[in-house]
Amino acid sequence: MTHESPLILVIDDEEAMRDSCTQILLKDHFRVETAAEGTSGLRRAAELKPDLVIVDLKMPGISGFEVLEGLRKIDPQMVAVVITGYANVESAVEAMKKGAYDFLPKPFAPEELRIIIRRGLERRRLALEAESLRREKILLEENIITMVTHQLRSPLVAIQQYFEVILSGTVGALEEKQKEMISRARERLDRLLGLINDWLDLARINRGQLVKKFKPFDLKKSLEKLVEFMKPHARDFGVTVEILPFPAPVEVLGDEETLEQVFANLLSNAIQYNRPGGDVKVEIGDSPEAVAIAVRDTGVGIAKEHLPFVFDQFYRVSRSESKKAKGTGLGLSIAKKIVEAHGGTIEVESEPGKGSVFTVLVPKNSGQKPE
Amino acid sequence: MPLKAPKILIIDDDPDFIEAVTPILKSALYDVASVLSPAEVKEKIFGEKPDLIILDIMMDSLFDGFSICHAVKTAPEYQAFHNVPILMISAVKEITGTGFPIKKDDPGMAGPDEYMDKPVKPAELLAKIEGMLKLVS
Repeated sequence: MTHESPLILVIDDEEAMRDSCTQILLKDHFRVETAAEGTSGLRRAAELKPDLVIVDLKMPGISGFEVLEGLRKIDPQMVAVVITGYANVESAVEAMKKGAYDFLPKPFAPEELRIIIRRGLERRRLALEAESLRREKILLEENIITMVTHQLRSPLVAIQQYFEVILSGTVGALEEKQKEMISRARERLDRLLGLINDWLDLARINRGQLVKKFKPFDLKKSLEKLVEFMKPHARDFGVTVEILPFPAPVEVLGDEETLEQVFANLLSNAIQYNRPGGDVKVEIGDSPEAVAIAVRDTGVGIAKEHLPFVFDQFYRVSRSESKKAKGTGLGLSIAKKIVEAHGGTIEVESEPGKGSVFTVLVPKNSGQKPE
Repeated sequence: MPLKAPKILIIDDDPDFIEAVTPILKSALYDVASVLSPAEVKEKIFGEKPDLIILDIMMDSLFDGFSICHAVKTAPEYQAFHNVPILMISAVKEITGTGFPIKKDDPGMAGPDEYMDKPVKPAELLAKIEGMLKLVS
């Protein structure tokens, strides 16, 4: 509610009634507006957003009941008090069923009106308060991902920290076997932490949030940096990685950090699932509306029956010849979610024994913010 | 190096982190103090007069670390400590990506001088601290 005094709208076809209500309410320092029939009353209610509405049930034109329904649509928390002829208690009850807060039979004394208005406004205040509490709760629920992750990660990180310190030799020398076991424990823990991160990524990436971070940037430059960054990793696997030359900058509108995550994932897969002596090539293709980035490897490839599922969560191609899978099984589904949040697509083609190509299409920067 | 060993104050509500990191710092001959509760931070800073602070981001609430950092860097009561370098650490950086307002991102808040993800590698931690202390001496 604003700091201004509450606004009350009186919808009544009788001028005398509008006037007397206005006088009583103004004396109590409320702000008052009036309307002489239902349709204009609803229009006024929509533009003024009053705190409370007094509605005469019997009016020419649309009935008081219809006004009540209309008011609920404008603001579910709006408090409506109906005025009825004395003998017409049934319709008053009917009105309350339709969501009126209370009724006042005609004729009424100024004090009766005041009491009902005050109670009605108190009810509105409480309703608004409840509403804002509800909103706070929603906010809390949004933060819950962060909180839960903190709860999950903290103990693991503490364990990991102990391992780091023990392995560093700061707190005493380790025997070879002890060192080996703790190193393995550390590795397993690393993967578990990675899994929590991935899961979290999946939970928090949504287009609405991501679009807010969109900025134009040169995707070619960021790919070149990434390829450079991946070279030592590729060398460990005996694989070469390169980006094929492309004559111009490639400006896209997006979130550089998450798009980089997509290509880091594709490159890392292309390297890990390659064969020694194999290579990984990043190719940029261009059309007026979109850029296509292909990541091509010379690895074992993916069998046809697996292809439709590689972007599914936790789907892992079981392969006899490859070492134990390193990833969490979420990487490609995260990649897909990110690309789609950019209005793009990701596809895969593969030939077992020869290699796979992952192609990402992203719209070019058209100079306008997407919806 | 000054005559006295530089003192490092660890502010973290996780006693295990303090327990694990303390020997690393001591191995490099730093003096180490620690505090677990955000409520006791002020008293501790005034009492220990640290040369560097290691500060966790999420303690009782989501952003305790940021409020403490901002206060130490800007509040008049902490004037004597405005220049003490702060190394912020957290297990949850990935949550917001680089979205945590580290220094340049949010001009409204005074950010830390440096940031590290938990768990920290002992060698990296020591290198970072050494660099930070060099800058202020």
